[in-house]
Amino acid sequence: MRENYTYVVLADDDEDDRLFFTEAFEELKMQTKVDLYKDGVDLMNALNQSDSKLPNILFLDLNMPMKSGIECLKEIKSNPRFKDIAIAIYSTSASEEDIEDTFVSGANVYIKKPNDFNILKKILSDVVTMNWQYQTSGLNRDNFLLRL
Amino acid sequence: MKFKSIYNSERILKIIFGLSLFVVLVMGGMSYQLIKKLSKSFEDVQHTYQIHIELEKLLSALKDAESGKRAFIISQDSTFLEPLLSSQSELESSLERLKLLTKNNPAQQKNIAELKIKIDKNLEIFEKTLGLALANKTDSPEFISSFKEGRQTMNSVRFKIMDMTTHESEELGIRKAKSSKTLSNAPMLIYYALIFSLLILLLTYLQISKNLRILKEKNELLETFKESTTQSEIISKHGNWIWYIEDNTFEYSDNLYRLLGEEPQSFPATLENFMGFVHPDDLDKLTEQVNKMMENEDLPFIHYRIIQKNGSIKHFKAYGKVLIDSDGHKKLLGTTADITDEIENYRLIEERNLELERNNKELASFNYVASHDLQEPLRKIQTFISRLEDKEKANLSDNGKLYITRIKSSSARMRSLIDDLLQFSRTNKSEEAFEDSNINILLETAKHDLAEIISDKRARISSDSIPSMKVIPFQIKQLFLNLISNSLKYSRENVAPVITISYSQTQASDLPKIKFSKHDLYHTISIKDNGIGFDQEYAEKIFILFNRLHNKNEYSGTGIGLSICKKIVENHNGYITAEGKLDQGSVFTIYLPITT
Repeated sequence: MRENYTYVVLADDDEDDRLFFTEAFEELKMQTKVDLYKDGVDLMNALNQSDSKLPNILFLDLNMPMKSGIECLKEIKSNPRFKDIAIAIYSTSASEEDIEDTFVSGANVYIKKPNDFNILKKILSDVVTMNWQYQTSGLNRDNFLLRL
Repeated sequence: MKFKSIYNSERILKIIFGLSLFVVLVMGGMSYQLIKKLSKSFEDVQHTYQIHIELEKLLSALKDAESGKRAFIISQDSTFLEPLLSSQSELESSLERLKLLTKNNPAQQKNIAELKIKIDKNLEIFEKTLGLALANKTDSPEFISSFKEGRQTMNSVRFKIMDMTTHESEELGIRKAKSSKTLSNAPMLIYYALIFSLLILLLTYLQISKNLRILKEKNELLETFKESTTQSEIISKHGNWIWYIEDNTFEYSDNLYRLLGEEPQSFPATLENFMGFVHPDDLDKLTEQVNKMMENEDLPFIHYRIIQKNGSIKHFKAYGKVLIDSDGHKKLLGTTADITDEIENYRLIEERNLELERNNKELASFNYVASHDLQEPLRKIQTFISRLEDKEKANLSDNGKLYITRIKSSSARMRSLIDDLLQFSRTNKSEEAFEDSNINILLETAKHDLAEIISDKRARISSDSIPSMKVIPFQIKQLFLNLISNSLKYSRENVAPVITISYSQTQASDLPKIKFSKHDLYHTISIKDNGIGFDQEYAEKIFILFNRLHNKNEYSGTGIGLSICKKIVENHNGYITAEGKLDQGSVFTIYLPITT
């Protein structure tokens, strides 16, 4: 039951990254609605409200105070209400451990934060237009880390 | 081996002793037999002489009677007739004795019977002649004929006696001949036996003196051995002890006393005295172990502590083994070593190891955190620059644009430095990461990652087929990536790079650097290019972290790439070498041990 826009949520404690994120979507001019949370606790509080609207794609930073991205990921995956949310990990690090841990915990894609705004735009546009049906059904370790 | 010969000769000596005993016994028996025979033959001779004497006596009695008769006939004096009476009874008894003497000789018995008849006849004639003489008829022919007959019978008696004497002599001769054979051989035999036993004695003496000499040599050897044992005990800080289990007595070597901090043999060697030195905390454990020693024949080392009289604590290690000697006595042979120094050293090494490990961990995490956390602000700087470039470029002066370009290249350089450092800090060795890998695929993946620059530079890369190896796959991929990108980066201007990757196997002995390796054979992968090369004198230097041969304006590079290569190869127990010729190219060769 998809509406005429894609609901995108980002949980990231870094102010600059939240700025880049919103600016990128503004410039992309896609049918999207973007909501931002400044940490994992905020995000989970919002999601756990029974009447909350659930995002189509959730971008999760890993390194956040109070509640880390991986904790949020595990919580979301353990709740059947959230089973349709596609989860994109959005992190500075691309260490093997983090990639492995989030893949095993059920994230759909892993994005290493780029150092160029135009690349960021391309990534976000790719992720939003991605065929999530395909991406979620055949969990593929090789395609997990998004390469551009 | 020589001891064995002594045991053998002991047996030989026993045999020789038995033999000589036997020979002496035989000699004694033979001598006894000989003496017995000698006395027998002496008896025989005596017997014969007795018979001779008896016969002589008989004859003389007859002669006495005859001459008495003749004297009476001539003188008519009756006093001459007196001996006749005595000689007659003597004849009787003499004959009886002869019979007795010759009772074992039937021939002589027969002779005696015949003699008796002749004597009786002679006596009969004698009576008749005597009767005629008493009647004074000495002139009558009857007297003369009987007188003549008397002389004839007298002669026949004499002949008979002579006959008997000869017979007896012959008899003696036969016996003599019979016994003389054994009697003459026996002394010779005894003499030979004597010589034989003397020879045996001589041999025994030689053998004994030889054994004594060997024993003496062995004794000297033992003495030397004992001396060197004492010396080695002192140098290696150990002491020996023997526990004679049946008697429950002990023997301690001098150095065992020294290990306890005491003068050698300064107190009686007993279990109680020794236990007096043992650390109270280890006493129960040691007692238990000692009891175990009695049951089992072989035991692992026992560790315990002792306290010397001056209060210093020493660590001991002991080993005991039950031995049963040739007489069946049980004894426990033990060695006790003072390992205080070893334990101290071990502790020191362990402490240092822990410290090193801690340092290493700190360094790794520092390295990781530093490079990781440095990325964050850098990424933002770069992103903001890209924003500035996109949105504000039009508002900037030419100088402003130049500065932005400079900031961009500097931050890009910083990024590659951080990336490489991160890569370097992650290039660690962990045994779990090793897996059987298709090296050709790893090489292809590396080439794939470099596809863009390869096609930009129109590079040609050829490679041999490389066998599978047990490696850390992502590191080997990184190795190819770094080496190939190195070759691409340092290519000559206007010359399309040609990179040749070849595979072979090399004997460890052919490589001076790895001559004493525990592996015999090495996989050898070389990457050869036609780039700018380098001066061979820098061949070692290029692998050192942050070492660069070129100005960063000429060629971009962090000076980390080859260090990572070296680290990767060393993680795989291998070696990497570089050969270069300026303006002609370079060859990097990787040696990885072939493990079976």
